[in-house]
Amino acid sequence: MSKGLLLAVSLGAATVALVAMGTMWPIPAAAAYAGGGSLLRSSSTPEAAVQNLGDEIRMNAWQKAYDSLANKAQFTEPQFVHDLTGTYPSLRTYATLENFDVQPLHASTDEAEMRMNLHWSSVVGAFTSTRDVHVVRNGDRWEAEWPIEKEPVLPPQVIPVNYLRWDVIYRGAGDDWGAQDVEAPHVRIVDMHPVQRAEGVVILGELLNEDVVPAYVSVTATLQSKSGATIETEGSFDRISHILLPKQVTPFFINFPDRTLSEVGSVRMTPLSQLVPASADPVIEIQDERLNPAPDASLTGQLSNQSGQVVNVAHVLATFYDKNGQVVWVADQYIDRALLPQTPVPFSIHIPEDLARKVSTERTVTSSYSSGGTQ
Amino acid sequence: MRPGLTFLLGSLALAATPLAMAQGANLTVPKSVEAGNAFSIQSAGSGKGTLYIIGPGDLLKRDVQLGETTSFPSGALYNAGHYLVILAGGSSTENASFDVVPASQPANLSFLAKPSRLQVGLHNGITGSVYVFDAYQNLVSAPTPVSFELTNPAGEVQKRTVTTHDGSAWTEMDSTAKEGADRFVARAGGVSGARVIGQVPGDPCGLKMNAQQQGQQILLETAPVRDCSGNAVPDGTIITFTETYDGAESTVDAPLKRGIAKVAMPAHRGARISIASGVVMGNEIRWEK
Amino acid sequence: MQRAESIEPSQRPIPLALILMAVVVVHLPLLLMKLPLKSYDANFHIFFASHYVHNWFNPWNPKWYAGFSQTTYPPLGQQWTALLSPILGLDFAYMAVQFTAILLLAVGVYRFSRLWVSPRAASFAALASVFLGSESFLVYSAGQLGTTCAAPIYLNALPFLFEWLRHGNWRSFLKASVLFTAAAAAHHATLLFGSFFFAVPILALVFLDREEGERVSTPAFVIRTVSIVVVVGCAIAIVLLPFWIALIHYPVTQTPIPHPSRANYILSPQWGLNYFIVPYGALIVALPFIFLRGSAVVRLRPLLLGFWVAFLVGLGGTTPVGHLVLGRAFEVLTMERFSYWATLLALPFVGLLASELVDRYRTGAVVGLTVAAAFSCALAVAWAAYKPADAADFNVNSVAAWLNRDGHDQHRYVTLGFGNKVARLAVLTDASSVDGEWNSGRMLPELTRHGGGALTSSKYFGKQGLDALREMLQHADRYGLKWVFVRDPYYDPLLSFAGWRPVDNLEDKTITIWSKDGVPPATPVNAPQMPPRWQGLMWGIFPFGSSILAILVVLIPQKKHYDSRGEVSYTADDELVSGRLAS
Repeated sequence: MSKGLLLAVSLGAATVALVAMGTMWPIPAAAAYAGGGSLLRSSSTPEAAVQNLGDEIRMNAWQKAYDSLANKAQFTEPQFVHDLTGTYPSLRTYATLENFDVQPLHASTDEAEMRMNLHWSSVVGAFTSTRDVHVVRNGDRWEAEWPIEKEPVLPPQVIPVNYLRWDVIYRGAGDDWGAQDVEAPHVRIVDMHPVQRAEGVVILGELLNEDVVPAYVSVTATLQSKSGATIETEGSFDRISHILLPKQVTPFFINFPDRTLSEVGSVRMTPLSQLVPASADPVIEIQDERLNPAPDASLTGQLSNQSGQVVNVAHVLATFYDKNGQVVWVADQYIDRALLPQTPVPFSIHIPEDLARKVSTERTVTSSYSSGGTQ
Repeated sequence: MRPGLTFLLGSLALAATPLAMAQGANLTVPKSVEAGNAFSIQSAGSGKGTLYIIGPGDLLKRDVQLGETTSFPSGALYNAGHYLVILAGGSSTENASFDVVPASQPANLSFLAKPSRLQVGLHNGITGSVYVFDAYQNLVSAPTPVSFELTNPAGEVQKRTVTTHDGSAWTEMDSTAKEGADRFVARAGGVSGARVIGQVPGDPCGLKMNAQQQGQQILLETAPVRDCSGNAVPDGTIITFTETYDGAESTVDAPLKRGIAKVAMPAHRGARISIASGVVMGNEIRWEK
Repeated sequence: MQRAESIEPSQRPIPLALILMAVVVVHLPLLLMKLPLKSYDANFHIFFASHYVHNWFNPWNPKWYAGFSQTTYPPLGQQWTALLSPILGLDFAYMAVQFTAILLLAVGVYRFSRLWVSPRAASFAALASVFLGSESFLVYSAGQLGTTCAAPIYLNALPFLFEWLRHGNWRSFLKASVLFTAAAAAHHATLLFGSFFFAVPILALVFLDREEGERVSTPAFVIRTVSIVVVVGCAIAIVLLPFWIALIHYPVTQTPIPHPSRANYILSPQWGLNYFIVPYGALIVALPFIFLRGSAVVRLRPLLLGFWVAFLVGLGGTTPVGHLVLGRAFEVLTMERFSYWATLLALPFVGLLASELVDRYRTGAVVGLTVAAAFSCALAVAWAAYKPADAADFNVNSVAAWLNRDGHDQHRYVTLGFGNKVARLAVLTDASSVDGEWNSGRMLPELTRHGGGALTSSKYFGKQGLDALREMLQHADRYGLKWVFVRDPYYDPLLSFAGWRPVDNLEDKTITIWSKDGVPPATPVNAPQMPPRWQGLMWGIFPFGSSILAILVVLIPQKKHYDSRGEVSYTADDELVSGRLAS
């Protein structure tokens, strides 16, 4: 073999070898685009079968995922897809599976139980859903049995709605100075409590709309040093119910990461209220709220939509009080399923372990988003 | 005005400032002129000169024959303030000053009434402020009596009369016990301004609910919700129903509709059901069925 | 009348004028159709150019990221666009600059290829450059004006480098130095990586040729190499000084942003199609020839090795090479430019192959090669339509008009679901945004802390992108961010729960304007990054001046050494068998 041919063969072989390496053991950036896997993983173990299923869900390869299931005869592919993405538009519909982990719960020679923790990324933040997947051996392969949760479908019906609505006419641009405008709603901070947490300073509190009109509200807190200098200003962002109907109360939670209470001399609270058009619907009932003690302290319950309108995204804000009625914590959760009329949907809000013992009572409020209208 | 001319006049004004307070020997000007009125200036001497009148927002320039009276028609000067008169003729400059004062007759009111909406029964809860202007939008600084009247829908009237100080007057009024749109009027001279003050019900008072079985649920319904003055609390006000049972709790924030709030909650034997609106608590029911 | 008819195939090169005419025929209509405006980055370059139109000596642009410095990107292509825009308008000025770059590429490829192969093969290589898939991909799909401007200047500099190293010609030294500097002013990365992929093979070539004809001693070779490296290094340091200052003071330490050119093209075949099949086109068929001939001919081996490394890096995450060779730069750079350089390095081989095929198969080869070239070019041009940067084409004029009226531009804005229209919008509006498309220029911690690209496309970056968006909305008051233009209802729940309210809509209600109450007007931020006046003057004078100087020095007459070189065999010894050589 001539030197030239030897070089050509060497370069060609090296190229093929490098491509093979890159495919068998992809670098992280490439693995992320390939759904986290490589060409070579087969469903030869229960873990691999569930991992492959997770990869297919991550890449929205629904047909491939459905075809790989052992119990696919029990439901259709659309039902499988709806179980993961929701029949009605909801947080799940627009969520992407960021990553997942698989924990073996039980295994024998022919079957195994695996727990899949699916970490979703959604527009309002990340959420995790957990599924216990039964895996069965089929020849030299393992196949997952998907624990289908069929979402109820609303029967065709007419729901009469007689809801309240406020509209506002503001002063015109050409009005004279001194001309009267509609008054901003009167709101009041009824409680405010700074707390030092590991992640920083947190301002907790409650805001009341004491007016007879709906209010758009937000709260801004400014930390000031002992010398009166401004340290930092932050707002409540989404940890508040921004639309308050008359006499409604919302908790608020303002976070100052990496700050310590010792450097703070005072806190200046600035509530903002604005008169906005609003609707009194939908009314959401919160049922069966329970404070579950530590470990894994949580507040659980169910949301039931009392209106005829489908709520696409619901946000639960819980205020926790000690036995003296002082606010000790505010926590929230977005509900990943749509709220159908009269169909309860569970929620579970985690309570920090160190605060769980102090919690005596709680109060929960919801805010909601429906495509085409918000509250 | 061209910058060059502004500069020239500014320079003239500065040069003349030490003398401006005094009446020029050869220049006779009125001590004060009512805004918009005609006036005249008499000069002495002979020959031709140029007369400048410089004031806040106004500048007049006239070529004059010295020794004659120069007349200015109505509306020539209408911005109230202190004016400087400079007569430039030949090698000498004469100067004098006079005031343009607002017309004594009010022609316009700026009336600020706050708030536009408030609860019933608040002492000094309503504030009215008035600024009095003449026809040329000069603040009338002369003391002028302003009358304030707050009339509720029942025709009851609260009256105050306040004399302006430096062109403004203000007063405080009580909101009445009756809800509705009150008419708040301010009058000065022959002019008036009106605002509407919405008096709205206060917090619910004596909040009460009734319960009755409806299948597997309890139908909870409030009595018509009123404030402590007997006004109906407006629809849309949130009433919170809370049911506590077996260590669990159910909550509904229900808006008032047609004066009452109605909600169905699960029936649990021994449950305690309470009602609240904002920071006001209502009655409590124990469900034993 | 006599008619001379040759039965022998022509051994003459294709005239350069004819090749340039091919550029005109193929690319001018496409550019007049403004096809690049649909690409990913063309509007980005036009936006930069629009800033230079009004602020030639002030590189601080307040329209993106609440203010950023344009010294973070070499300005040459954009400044030429700005200069031509008063006559042609921004869009056509961009097309004119791009067209000039394509013309220069044909010339550059010819001159570069002449160092390696015969004039005839070099002319085929130059003609192939007109149809090169990677060039069309970068021009019409990626819109990489900087890369496509820098590469031809760089290719044109390389023969002067060879002349200087080989013959010690001072004119060549001057021309090479000025052209290298101008190339760096167009795109710094081209010069940096081009040195390894293009210049090192030239050094090796000079070293291999040192005993032929005019002998070059090793010390002379070393001295010449060092001298030009030092001079070019200093020139680039001065010409792009504000760029280096910005890079040193504010290095790109932000969280890496995923890019599909780093995918494994086998595990992710859709990206393989995008970043390998389309740019390479029919060149893929020539790969065995490149390896065989490049290995067989000793003189071509440096070029082959340069091609091979660029080829492997250009494969992105398909091999571990890019990750190993580039280190952290692998997470910052996009890989399609390496494929572009690889294809440019492959062109001398392609020219060689084409000339041999034509000599051997005549009309059949011409037809085949024409079809292959046309297919490569057509696929890459059409790719912009098959896989457009923006799935939906829409007009942002109404958004710009809304921002420009009633004092709306006193507050900052951000768009969601606008894709690469953010640059077009930024050109049209006076308002400032906290978003942008130039990731290396951004300094706002809300953006650099997360591995997401432009906020307008947050959802495509998963959790990282959405976290950046949430944090930015959370700090709306800090930046005077009052307006959010939403063209994708995906984002509506976040805005609704975060306290924003829809206040208006545009374009038949396909764009909703959300507003936040109580936001103070925007004030200037990022002041420490603002370049001082002297840097602005440098930025306005030196990079553009380097290109003017390059034009002037290139006009200095040059003795053509390489044309007088003895005939070199480009045919592998292994292939010298009967019937395989062109007759």
